[in-house]
Amino acid sequence: MTSIITPKILKGTRDFLPQEMAKRRYVMEKIRSVFVNFGYDTIETPAIEYAETLLGKYGEEGNKLTYSFEDNGGRKIALRYDQTVPFARLVAANSSDLPMPFKRYQIDKVWRADKPAKGRYREFVQCDIDIIGTESLLSEGEVARVMYEVFTRLGFSNFVIKFNSRKLINGMLGSFKISPEQQVAVIRMLDKLDKIGKSAVIKEMSSFISKEDASALLQIVTVEGTNVEKAEKLGKFGSQEIKDFLAICQDFSIPEKNLSFDPSLARGLDYYTGIIFEVYIPDVAIGAVCAGGRYADLCSLFCEKKFSGVGVAFGFDRIVLAMEELKLLAEVRLNSQVMMTNFDGGERKKMLELATRLQSAGINTEIYFETAKLGKQFKYADKKEIPFVVICGPEEIARQEVTIKVMKTGKQKTIPQSQLVEYLNGFTS
Amino acid sequence: MKTLQTTQFAVQSNGRLTRESLDYLRAIGLTFEENGRSLITSCQNQPVDILYLRSSDIPEYVSRGVASFGIVGENVLYEKRARVKIVRRLGFAMCSLVIAVPKGSPIKTLQDLEGERIATSYPRILREFLNKKKINAAIISIQGSVEITPSVNLADAVCDLVQSGRTLRENNLTPIQKVLDSEAVLIASPEMDTTRASSIINYV
Repeated sequence: MTSIITPKILKGTRDFLPQEMAKRRYVMEKIRSVFVNFGYDTIETPAIEYAETLLGKYGEEGNKLTYSFEDNGGRKIALRYDQTVPFARLVAANSSDLPMPFKRYQIDKVWRADKPAKGRYREFVQCDIDIIGTESLLSEGEVARVMYEVFTRLGFSNFVIKFNSRKLINGMLGSFKISPEQQVAVIRMLDKLDKIGKSAVIKEMSSFISKEDASALLQIVTVEGTNVEKAEKLGKFGSQEIKDFLAICQDFSIPEKNLSFDPSLARGLDYYTGIIFEVYIPDVAIGAVCAGGRYADLCSLFCEKKFSGVGVAFGFDRIVLAMEELKLLAEVRLNSQVMMTNFDGGERKKMLELATRLQSAGINTEIYFETAKLGKQFKYADKKEIPFVVICGPEEIARQEVTIKVMKTGKQKTIPQSQLVEYLNGFTS
Repeated sequence: MKTLQTTQFAVQSNGRLTRESLDYLRAIGLTFEENGRSLITSCQNQPVDILYLRSSDIPEYVSRGVASFGIVGENVLYEKRARVKIVRRLGFAMCSLVIAVPKGSPIKTLQDLEGERIATSYPRILREFLNKKKINAAIISIQGSVEITPSVNLADAVCDLVQSGRTLRENNLTPIQKVLDSEAVLIASPEMDTTRASSIINYV
C-alpha cells in the first residue's frame, strides 16, 4: 500500500488559485506600470545569496529573521530578506556599467523567518524603487509622486504619505543633549509611539533623559497644524529640508491631503539619513503599506565608492489585503473573455476559425474541449466567469451566423459571423 | 497702435453652427468680412482672428491654446473630452442625442438594449451613459449615416443627434431614450483665468 503525503504547506506561505492570482497579477501590473511610467528599469538578483552578504545588514532582529542554512556542499547560504542589500551588492559589483544616477524597480519574493500574523508572511512580495547616485531632493519628490500615483491608480482615495527628516530628528534629539550613540536607541523608542502610547515611551526613555525632557520631546514631535505650519514651528531644530521637500511636492502636484509631515515618524532602521516615508491607509488597520527613505551610503559594506540614494518598498501583500477589504478588486476576472462551444459534428473547423479570429483581434478566447451538452458547457463558462459564450452550431453555420450568449443576463443574440469581433469589442470600446 | 495680443475665435467652417456662430460674433461687436474660402479672417475693428475649422477639431485647438475661444456643440465637446472650460452657453443649435430603434422592433425600453448593437458617432458619450444605466450593449462606432445601420443589419438601434426628428422618421426610427441635450457653447482653455476671459469677451 502506498502511503499518501498530506498536501500541506509551511505556515506563513501560501498557494494562490487562479481567482486570487488574477487579482495579484492585476495589482502587480498596476504598480509596475507606474514604475515604468516614471522611467524605472528592472534588474533581478538570486533568491539565494552567500549568508555573509545578507547577515549583519538588518540589525540584530533582522539577523534572527533571515533564513540561513548550510547547502549540500557545506556553503553558508541565506534567502533574500529584502531587495535592498542584494541591490547594493549588485551595484558594488557593476557600478562602472551602470548609468549614474541609477534608478531601478524590483518586484520579487523575499523570505523572513517571522511569526506569521495577519498581513505578515514568511514568504511575500516586495515592490521596490531606488534612485542612487544623486543627493538631489528632487529624487525624494519623485519617490513621493510615484507613491501618490501607485495608490491613486490602484483606486485608493484615502491614503496618507507620512514623512519626516532624520536631520530634523537629530536636531530635536541633539537639543536634549542626547548623544549620537544614544540617538539610535531613542529613535527606536520614538518609532513605537503610535503602538504603545506616550507614557510608555516616556518610561522607556528614562534611562537616557529625564522624565521632563522626554515629555517635552514628545510635546515637540506631536506639534499640530498644517504641514508648512509644523515645519515653521520646528524651525529651530533644522526643518529646512522638510520645507524644501514640501515645496517640491507641491510642484509635483501631490495633493496636501495625501501628505502628512509627522515629526514623530522615526523608522527603526539605522541607515536612513534624510527624508523618511511611511504610507498608511486609514480605513484599513494593517500598518504601513509602503516605507523607505534617504540613505547616505548604499554599498559601504561592499565597496569603497559612496552611493547616496532614496528608495521605498511597497508591501505588495498588504496592499492586496487592503484592496480586498475595500472591495477594489471585485471586478477582476480570469483571463478568458469568450468561450467557443463545441458541437458534435462538422462544426469544429468553424469553431476553430472563429476562435483564431477572436484571438488575433486580441480577445482572450478559449474552446470547450468536449462535445458535451450545451448546459454542461455553459456551466463551465459560468464557473470561470467567462462573460461571453459563442455558439456556432449547424443552424448558425448554414446561415453564416453566430449566436452569442451574454452569461450575466442569459440573453442570446444572433448576428452575422463577419460582425463577431466588432460586436464583442463593442462592449468595451 | 496695437497694444493687445490677438485673440482667436474658432468657429465651425461649414455646418449646423456656422451661421449662428458668426451672428454671435457680430452681436458681441466684431466687424469682419465673410469670406467663404478663407480659413482665417481678421476683424476690422479689433485684434481678433476668426478661424474656420471642422467642429470636431475645435475643442483640440482650444485645449492646445491655438485658439483662445471656440464655439462648439456640447455633443462634440463631451465626445472629445478635451481639456477646456465652458465660458458661456449660447442658446442656439439646440438638439438632443437620442437612442432610436426601427418601428416594430422588439426593443421598447432602455433595458431591452442589453446585449444589442447600437450604432453611433458618439461612442464615448454613449458608453458613459450605458455604464451609468448599467446596460451592457455593443457599441458600433460609425462616422456618419448612422440612421441606415439597422436596415442593413449592422445594428439593432442607433444613437444619433436629432433636431426636428425628421431624419429619424424618414428612416423609420422611433426614439426610445434621450441621452443628452445639447446646445452651442463658448469654450476657452482651462489655463485661461475667468477674469481674463470675461474681460476679453467684454472688450470685444
